[in-house]
Amino acid sequence: MKWDRYILPLALILVWEGLSLIRVIPSHLLPSPINILLGLRDLMVIGMPPGYLLPYHVLHSLYRVALGFAFAALLGIPLGLLMGGSPRLRRIVNPVIEVIRPIPPLAWIPIAILWFGIGMKSAAFIIFLGAFFPILLNTVSGVVSINPIYFEAARTLNAKPKHIFFKVLLPGATPSIFVGMRIGVGIGWMTLVAAEFTGVKSGYGLGYMIMTARDIQRPDEILAGMLLIGLIGVLINGVLRAYESRIVRWQ
Amino acid sequence: MKIASFLTVVMASLFLAGPSPGDCQQKPIRIGYLQSDIHQLACLVALEKGFYRKNGVEVEVAGVFKAGPEEMSAFAAGALDMGYVGEAPATTAVANKAAEATVLAQVNTEGSAIVVGKDSHAKDVRDLAGKRVAIPGYSTVQDFLLKKALTKFGVDPKGVNIIVLKPPEMIGALKTSQIDAFIAWEPYPAKAQTMGVGRVLLTSHEIWENHPCCVLVASDRFLSERPRDARAVVRAHVEATDFIRDFPDEAVRIGVKYTGMDEPTIRLALKNVVYTYVLSIEGEREYVDFLSRMKYIQLMDPEAFVRKFINQEILGDIIKK
Repeated sequence: MKWDRYILPLALILVWEGLSLIRVIPSHLLPSPINILLGLRDLMVIGMPPGYLLPYHVLHSLYRVALGFAFAALLGIPLGLLMGGSPRLRRIVNPVIEVIRPIPPLAWIPIAILWFGIGMKSAAFIIFLGAFFPILLNTVSGVVSINPIYFEAARTLNAKPKHIFFKVLLPGATPSIFVGMRIGVGIGWMTLVAAEFTGVKSGYGLGYMIMTARDIQRPDEILAGMLLIGLIGVLINGVLRAYESRIVRWQ
Repeated sequence: MKIASFLTVVMASLFLAGPSPGDCQQKPIRIGYLQSDIHQLACLVALEKGFYRKNGVEVEVAGVFKAGPEEMSAFAAGALDMGYVGEAPATTAVANKAAEATVLAQVNTEGSAIVVGKDSHAKDVRDLAGKRVAIPGYSTVQDFLLKKALTKFGVDPKGVNIIVLKPPEMIGALKTSQIDAFIAWEPYPAKAQTMGVGRVLLTSHEIWENHPCCVLVASDRFLSERPRDARAVVRAHVEATDFIRDFPDEAVRIGVKYTGMDEPTIRLALKNVVYTYVLSIEGEREYVDFLSRMKYIQLMDPEAFVRKFINQEILGDIIKK
């Protein structure tokens, strides 16, 4: 019964195309699915701005997100494990985190430009902010939710702290860490357009491409870019999920 | 599920279809202009001196925009009746069928400049090859002028790293060497000079003498529904443009008030701008030709587009009187 998941998207596209055809939906506000496909072709062949082709926009965006996400994971996971293991450290660090966490990454843009200038570092910083907190908080909750009996059992068996960390704490928190990484990379990918608002030196990036398509007044290419961001998000999530199910089962 | 999806689509299409006809005739005219753009001084003068009211129309500033393409998106959304905007973004938006609008009067010619750092060794445009240059947006007049200047001097625009920055950020970026040059409308080139950050490498006068820059446009819908009001705004614009020529000191004061910049900067900026309401068909042809070559627009019949896009009748009537 897997086919039923395609019913709604297909029906939506058909109705959308139909309403566009009879001009109920004005094409300058919402181009039809066929026009969006033609826009996608223009993005591949002509590029936006002309000469800057779509595959390179995708690659540059993926690289920015990978960079921001890598920093978020490298910082968030160890800090989360430490905080999960020490209620005292949690008490000390939490007030700071609770204040910074609700600030939208978008609000950081002027500061990001001031600290890191225009370009890759600013964009990666904005993505880092989006990805960091879900990773940190999920890691902490992963450690906290481990049944205390396991720690006590390990201690009764005279296990060294090193062994407790690698044999109890880390495996116990792993499923939750993965959830955090999936949410983190998802939010990181969502902040991409905002991150590329900080300015792009290379002239490439999906968010930058969408802004340029707006400048040149091509709504078909704007929507093609948006749908592509959505599809790549689905793909990233799928890859991480597949990896996660292998690791977690193996544990 | 099917009913729900159907309802969603119906509601979305109703929402997207925009406001229903039958809007009240007495509504103030919604106008837009660009933030801190001294080219559009006539609009500020007309507001400040009450020229719109004197001609019997009430206007409301419905939007102050950071760059022309944003203002044209507001036209596409039906949020503006008339506006002061660059000829390049207006041409792009109408040629790409995003907005339906017509040019009724010129606002200024010239008035932009390429600025490099104060200590830059660049002697002419050829020295920009391989450098990083900021523009206010794609399909702006400045994007157009930069590429025209590069082409004129035999530099391949692809060999220059062009990035998009909003004009207020350009001077800071130049100061911290994040960019090697920028092109912007006045008073930003003047501001870079009075701040001691940059010097002018090339004025737009040197790139393309007497090039048309900002225009006064009206949405086609407004023009067909309220032609008399559109005419009144053009008349106020002509009076304001004459006012700038006749009372430059008062114009400077208004420019200082609206841009928030200092008087020496505004005085320096005004030297670079020519205020005129006279339209140029030849100039629009040049825009259409170059924008097509840059692949921003594709037109079946460029000449028919130019004829329809530039309406000289209203302005001609007003000048005759």
